[in-house]
Amino acid sequence: MKLEKIIERGYYWIDDQARQSSLALARKLSRRSFLSRLGMMLAGAAAFPLLPVARSFAQSSVEEVGDPQSCEYWRYCAMSGTLCSCCGGTYTSCPPGSEASPITWVGTCRNPVDGRDYLMSYNDCCGKSVCSRCGCHNTEGDKPVYFNSNSNSVLWCFGTENTSYHCTVSLVLGTTDETN
Amino acid sequence: MRVTTPLALALALFVPLASAQIVPEEISIDTMPDPGPNWFISKTGNGGYIFDATTGEMQGLLSLSRYTPAVTMWQPRREFYATESYLSRGVRGERTDLVTIYDFENLSPVAEIVIPNHMARLSIRNHLGLMNNGRHLAVLNMNPGHSVSIVDVEDRVFIYEASTPGCAVIMPVADSDFLQLCGDGTLQLIQLDISGFEENRVRSDIFFNVMEDAIFDRTARSANGWYLITHAGTVYEVGSQGSEIIINDSWSVLAEGEESWRPGGDEFITAHRDTGLLYVAMHEGEVDTHHVPGEEIWVLDANSGRRVHRIELEVPATSIMVTQEAAPKLIVADDDGGTHVYDALTFVFERTIVTPGAAMFEDF
Repeated sequence: MKLEKIIERGYYWIDDQARQSSLALARKLSRRSFLSRLGMMLAGAAAFPLLPVARSFAQSSVEEVGDPQSCEYWRYCAMSGTLCSCCGGTYTSCPPGSEASPITWVGTCRNPVDGRDYLMSYNDCCGKSVCSRCGCHNTEGDKPVYFNSNSNSVLWCFGTENTSYHCTVSLVLGTTDETN
Repeated sequence: MRVTTPLALALALFVPLASAQIVPEEISIDTMPDPGPNWFISKTGNGGYIFDATTGEMQGLLSLSRYTPAVTMWQPRREFYATESYLSRGVRGERTDLVTIYDFENLSPVAEIVIPNHMARLSIRNHLGLMNNGRHLAVLNMNPGHSVSIVDVEDRVFIYEASTPGCAVIMPVADSDFLQLCGDGTLQLIQLDISGFEENRVRSDIFFNVMEDAIFDRTARSANGWYLITHAGTVYEVGSQGSEIIINDSWSVLAEGEESWRPGGDEFITAHRDTGLLYVAMHEGEVDTHHVPGEEIWVLDANSGRRVHRIELEVPATSIMVTQEAAPKLIVADDDGGTHVYDALTFVFERTIVTPGAAMFEDF
């Protein structure tokens, strides 16, 4: 009974706050201003899929051949590290219990199936001991550490809770003809 | 029965007599003798092994963190300086980056200076640089933007962290200045004041293109500055004069018709400062094979730009280092984890040293 009263009071409080802030907003803004902001929001939402990141996710999956546990696999042309596909993950997923680093290095690899160049993101999976299976060190387009966005020598466990390196995945971000 | 009884009695009497003559041994702990010529550190994933290249004998071990990029020293204070990074639970938990000071005598830690947890945890020799005044140590950071932590190793204090966007590698010049390589094709000179704070920062003109022919992030100290080399084998000697960056005319390690040869490996370039001899691990390969170990070591006279010798190797070399003595040794780490010693002037193979695979070497 007591709990119900507390919840009821809480609802009243929320209602009251909402009413007061609506009134305050109405006093400050004209109706035209509100409509213009709403319009901007709608236009922005419509434009969002035009951004390159959204486009790359919108395309259909990539057709590919080969063994993802081999360093020769086309996605690994600028890969350096241990292949997550040999460590309980896949080339796009981290093994159980590891953390995916949001910050990556990039490379450009040609898919032998369609002959197109793809923009690749190499994400490290972190927070566990190094897997040390299927070591792979390819250096196509690799640059020195002072040009770190294209350097595969760097340990990319940044922005993760634990910064130890476990293995690396390779994600397709898009084709280079899309980004041109 | 008649024979065995007297024999047993004789043995029972003899054994205590014999053991009474042996003084029981006691365990002791050695201290490091004064470093001799051609001593070097072989930095491995297991720490820094100290060897005498002349005899091949190990002298002691520096226990370093798994993430230590490099180790250096300052002879007048008889100290080693290493950057280290530890996670409290091994592969997880709280991270602590620090500069650890080890003494010569016991190779033991005598001081620790905590630095920001931004250290670039890569095994690259020039991610650590002690200024030529022996006081300020620069540690390269990556978080993932580049910066440099400055530590006063004499007063044992962290000074500050300087942001160095787009620039890495630490090449000490003058008294307390250092040069850096930058991704826009320039060099950066940072000059420190007497307290270790940044006093001045200068950028050179653009002199290389990182996309077309990048300069390696592995460099070699010369008599007046540093040797840089590009992926295609072009050498620059750079230095400073006051606040001016000096970039000398470039030359190629390749003769005509040798375009298929390329420098490469890990710490694949080293120089003997007094003679101006430059040693570069070379392999035959395509563009972007810059991490391939060297099938040969080319010895070049940096004063004339001419090649002196080609050392052919049975197992390709990943890292090399020449000691700075008048009778120097060339130390070579091979791709199979072997470590070998050559006479650096006659290029004759002298010995193989058994040690865990070396990532790099540091001269004493």
